[in-house]
Amino acid sequence: MNLFYKIITFKPSFGLRIVSGLVGIVLCLATCGIVGLTDMVAAQLKTNDDAFEGRLIEAGARVYFEQCARCHGLQGKGNDGAAPAISSVAFLGAKTPPTPSQRLKDIGWSGSIESYIEAVTASGIPIKSSQVWEQNHPPFAQRFGGPLRDDQIKNVTKFVANWKQKPYTDGVIEAPKPGAGSGPQPTPIPLGPKENAGLEVFKGAGGCTACHAIRGIATGAVGPTMNKIAATAEKRVTQADYKAAGGKATDVASYLRESIVSPNTYIVPDCPQGACASGVMTQNLQQTLKPEELENLIAYLMTLR
Amino acid sequence: MAIIGQKLVNQIRETGLKATVAQRTDDAFTRFTAGLTWDDVRGILRGDPPAKPNPRVKPHTEGFWFHIRPTFYHEAVTTLYPTFRLGYLSALFFLIETITGMFLMIFYTPSPERAFANMIDILTNVPFGSFMRDLHRLGAEVMVVVVTLHMWRTFITASYKKPRQFTWFTGVVLLIVTMFLSFSGYLLPWDQLAFWAVTIGTSMADAAPLVGREVNLLLRGAPDIGAGGLLRFYLFHVLLFPAIGLVFLGVHYYKVVRWGLSLPPEMEAIGEDTARKVDQTKRVMFMPDILTNEIMYAAVATAILAVASATFYNAPLETHSNPQVTPLHTVAPWYFYWLQGLIKIPHILPLGESLSFINKPVDEVFALVGLTPKMLWGIIVPPIIIVLLFAIPYIDPNPSRRYKDRKVALSLAVIFELLILYLSLGGIATGVPGTGFGYVGGNPVVEVAQEFIPDEGESEVKAIPFDQLIVGKYPLANDPAIDDHKAPKFREIVRAIYADMEHRKHVADPLGKKMPEEAEGDVTVRLLQEDLKEFVITIRYIDENQAPQTFSKNAYIHKNSDYH
Ligand code: HEC
Ligand code: HEC
Ligand code: HEM
Repeated sequence: MNLFYKIITFKPSFGLRIVSGLVGIVLCLATCGIVGLTDMVAAQLKTNDDAFEGRLIEAGARVYFEQCARCHGLQGKGNDGAAPAISSVAFLGAKTPPTPSQRLKDIGWSGSIESYIEAVTASGIPIKSSQVWEQNHPPFAQRFGGPLRDDQIKNVTKFVANWKQKPYTDGVIEAPKPGAGSGPQPTPIPLGPKENAGLEVFKGAGGCTACHAIRGIATGAVGPTMNKIAATAEKRVTQADYKAAGGKATDVASYLRESIVSPNTYIVPDCPQGACASGVMTQNLQQTLKPEELENLIAYLMTLR
Repeated sequence: MAIIGQKLVNQIRETGLKATVAQRTDDAFTRFTAGLTWDDVRGILRGDPPAKPNPRVKPHTEGFWFHIRPTFYHEAVTTLYPTFRLGYLSALFFLIETITGMFLMIFYTPSPERAFANMIDILTNVPFGSFMRDLHRLGAEVMVVVVTLHMWRTFITASYKKPRQFTWFTGVVLLIVTMFLSFSGYLLPWDQLAFWAVTIGTSMADAAPLVGREVNLLLRGAPDIGAGGLLRFYLFHVLLFPAIGLVFLGVHYYKVVRWGLSLPPEMEAIGEDTARKVDQTKRVMFMPDILTNEIMYAAVATAILAVASATFYNAPLETHSNPQVTPLHTVAPWYFYWLQGLIKIPHILPLGESLSFINKPVDEVFALVGLTPKMLWGIIVPPIIIVLLFAIPYIDPNPSRRYKDRKVALSLAVIFELLILYLSLGGIATGVPGTGFGYVGGNPVVEVAQEFIPDEGESEVKAIPFDQLIVGKYPLANDPAIDDHKAPKFREIVRAIYADMEHRKHVADPLGKKMPEEAEGDVTVRLLQEDLKEFVITIRYIDENQAPQTFSKNAYIHKNSDYH
C-alpha cells in the first residue's frame, strides 16, 4: 500500500527531469544515428533487399508450380509437345561462365531475358511459333484475360530467371529455331475398336481427364501425364523403389492394372504441381468400372508410347 | 533598404558589432518564444525562480501554442496520479504519427499496382525507411492503448462530471478517430494481412438492413476492396480522420485549459469544482515545472519507442494481397478482437453446450425477432456502445466524484472491461471452460501444418537456416534421423511438428476435434534451384469415413529470405 502510494504520488525532482529528459533526447538521436549508419554504411538496406528478393522468388515458385509446371515441367525442362524448356542454358544463358541466351539471339529479342519471360508470360504468344506445340502459349496477366496479377507475373519471372544460377543442359526440350518445325505433324496411329472404347472410358466413365493430361485429348493437371505411360510403365516395373514399395507388376499391362485398381501401392514421385500424394487418385475404380471397360482402358493406355 | 541599413549601422557604431548581434539575436529569439528572452529560457531549464513581474506568463497570453496550455496547475495534479500524463502522451503520439506518417507518404502511392512494391521499396531502398515504418506502426498501436487508458482514467477519477461533460464528449470523438485512423492505416501496405482484416471489418457494414450494401459501396468504392477502396482508405487515413482529429483535439485542449485539470475527487466538496480557484501557495507554474516535466515525458517516451522500433519490433509485411485466397485464421486488428468475439458467441449463456433447454444457440434466438447475430452485434450494438459512451456525463445522475459514492458506476466499468477482455479472448483456445467459443480451427491435421507453415505470418519452418535444410525425407518422430550438430534447428522443428501432432491426438480442441490416432507423416526437403528449397509436411491418416487421406502443405524457402 505504501509502495502504491509512492508510485501514484511520484513526481520527478527537477534534476531527475533534466537528466532523464537529456538521456531520452540523446537516446533518440543515438538511435537515429545508429539506424542511419546500419542502413547506409553497414548495408542493412542491401540485406533487406536480398531478403525481399528471396521472398519474391518464393512467391514466384508458388505461381510456377500452380500455373506453369503442368506444361513446362517441375524442373522447367519442358515437355514433349506441351512446352519448351525455360531452365536451360540455351534459353536463359548462364551466370558462370557468363553465357548469353542463344534463344534471344535466335529470335532477335533486344531486351533482357527477364523482360522476355515477363512479356511472354503476361501476354502469351498469340501465334504458335511452331507446330510442335499443341497449344498457344496462354496469356497469364489479368489485363490480357489471364488469371495472374502483375506482381505475380513479376515474381514468377524472378523465379524462372533464378534457374540461371545453375541452368540445365541434359534432358531439356528446346524450342525449335524460328521457322523450323512448322511442317505437318505426323499422323497419329489409328486406334482399334477395343482401344477406341478404352479412350471413351478414359474420357467418360473413368473420369480420368479430370486429373491426367494426354496430348490433344485431356489437360488434367493433378496426376502425371499419360502421354508416354506405356513406356514409363515398362521402365517402372524394373525399378528398385517400385519393388520396394510392394509393386507386383512385371509387365506394362499388369502395371497399368495395378495403378488403376490399387493406386496407393506405388506412389509416383512427380506430379505436375509437386510431389504426388497417396489417396488423391480415385480409389474404387475396380468397383465402378465394368471388367471389360477396365480391359479396354488398359488396352488404350498401352498405345501411349 | 537605406532606412533599415542606417539603423543597423547606427547601432553597430554605438554599441559595437558583438553587442548588436547579441541584441538582434535575442530580439528574434524573443519574438519566436512570444516573450521569453534567452536568459529567461535558460532560467526555466535550470529551475531558477522567476523574476518579478514574472516574464513566464507572457507566452500564455501572447503565443498560440502556450495559450492552449494553462499558466499554472494545482499542485495536487502534478503528481503521477491523477492524470498519469495519459492525455499528454496521447497528444504526443498524435504528433509522432503525423511526422513519421509524412515521411512514409513521400514514398507511397495508393494504388493496388504500386502500394505493395512501394512498401518493399521503403524497406529496401529508403534510408530510415524501415525505422520510420516501425515507429509509425508501433506508435499507432501504442496510441490506441494510451488513448483507451486515458479514457479509463478520466472515467475512474470521474473527471467527466460537470463542468467537463463536453471535454468527455470531444474525447469520445477522439477515441473513435484514433481507432479509425489505426484501422484505415491497416489497409495501406496492401498485403494479405491488410486486405483480409479490412475486408472482414468492412463486411460488418453489409449486415445493416437497407443501407448495408450502400455503406459498403461507399467505403470500398466497389463491391470488393480494390483500387477505389485503397484510394478511399488512404484519403480517410491521411486527410479526413486527421482533420477531424485536429479539430476535436483543439476543442478538447481548449476545454482542458478552460476548466483546469480536475482535482483528485477527495479534495473537493461533493458537486463543487475548484480546479480553477487555486490558492497562490498551491500553484505550480507551467514554466518551469510542468514544461520540464512534459519535455521529460516526451523525450523518454519517444526514446523508448525509437529503441523498440530499432531493435526488436518489426512491422509485419506479408505477401501481396490476393482477393482469391483467404488465408486461414484471418483476424481483425487486436483492438477489434472483442467485436469479432461478439459475432461468434455461440449460445446465449457462456456455458458451452450445457443446459441446452434454455441455453439456445444465438442464431435461433435472434431469428425469432428477425435478426442475424452479425446484424445485432455488428450493426446495432457498437453504435449503442458509442452513444452510451457519449452520453455517460449527461446520464450519470450521481453528483459525487468520490470513489466510495460511485460503487455502481465503478463496478459497471469493471464488468464492462472484463466483458471486453472475455470477448477478445474468445478466439483463443485457452482451455478454460466457456472461453475459446470463437475458435475457428478446422481439421486438426490441417491445423498442425498451419501451426508450422501458416498461410500468412511468421513461420517457424521458414525461420530454419537454409544450410540446415538437408535434402531428404524424414519420417515425423521424436528422434528424427537428422544430425543434431549439423542441423539443430531443423531437427528441433521436425520434433516439434511430431510433438504437436501427438498432442492433438490426446487433447481435443475447443470444438472437440482430435487428431486421428493412427496419423503419421513425414517432412520432405527438396532442392528446387541453387538457392531455393521446398519444405513439405505430409500427414497420412484415416478420416471419419474410414477412407485413407493424405494432407500436405509446403513452404518455399530462399537462402536470403531471412525470416528470423
Ligand atoms: C498450356 C501449357 C503452358 C503453360 C501452362 C505455360 N506455358 Fe509457357 N509455353 C508454352 C508453349 C507451348 C510455349 C512455346 C510457345 C511458342 O513458342 O509458340 C511456351 C513458351 C514459354 C516461354 C518462352 C520460351 C522460349 O523458348 O521462347 C516462356 C518464358 C514461358 N513459356 C513461360 C511460362 C510461364 C512463366 C508460365 C506460367 C505462368 C507458363 N509459361 C505456362 C506452354 C505453356
Ligand atoms: C482425382 C484425380 C485422379 C483421377 C480422377 C485419376 N487419377 Fe490416376 N493418378 C492420380 C495421381 C495423383 C496419381 C499419382 C499418385 C499415385 O501414384 O497414386 C495417379 C497415377 C496414375 C497412374 C500411374 C502413373 C505412373 O506414372 O506410373 C496411372 C496409370 C493412372 N493414374 C491412371 C488413371 C486412370 C486410367 C484414371 C481413370 C480411370 C485415373 N488415373 C484417374 C490422380 C488421379
Ligand atoms: C487523441 C486522443 C486524446 C488526446 C490527445 C487527449 C488529450 C487530453 C489532455 C492532454 C488532457 C489533459 C489531462 C491529461 O493529460 O490527462 C485531457 C483531459 C481529458 N480528456 Fe482527453 N484526450 C484524448 C482522448 C480522450 C478520450 C477518448 C476521452 C474520454 C472519452 C477523454 C476525456 C478527457 C477528459 C474528461 C479530460 C479532463 C480530465 C481532467 O480534467 O482531469 N480524452 N485530454
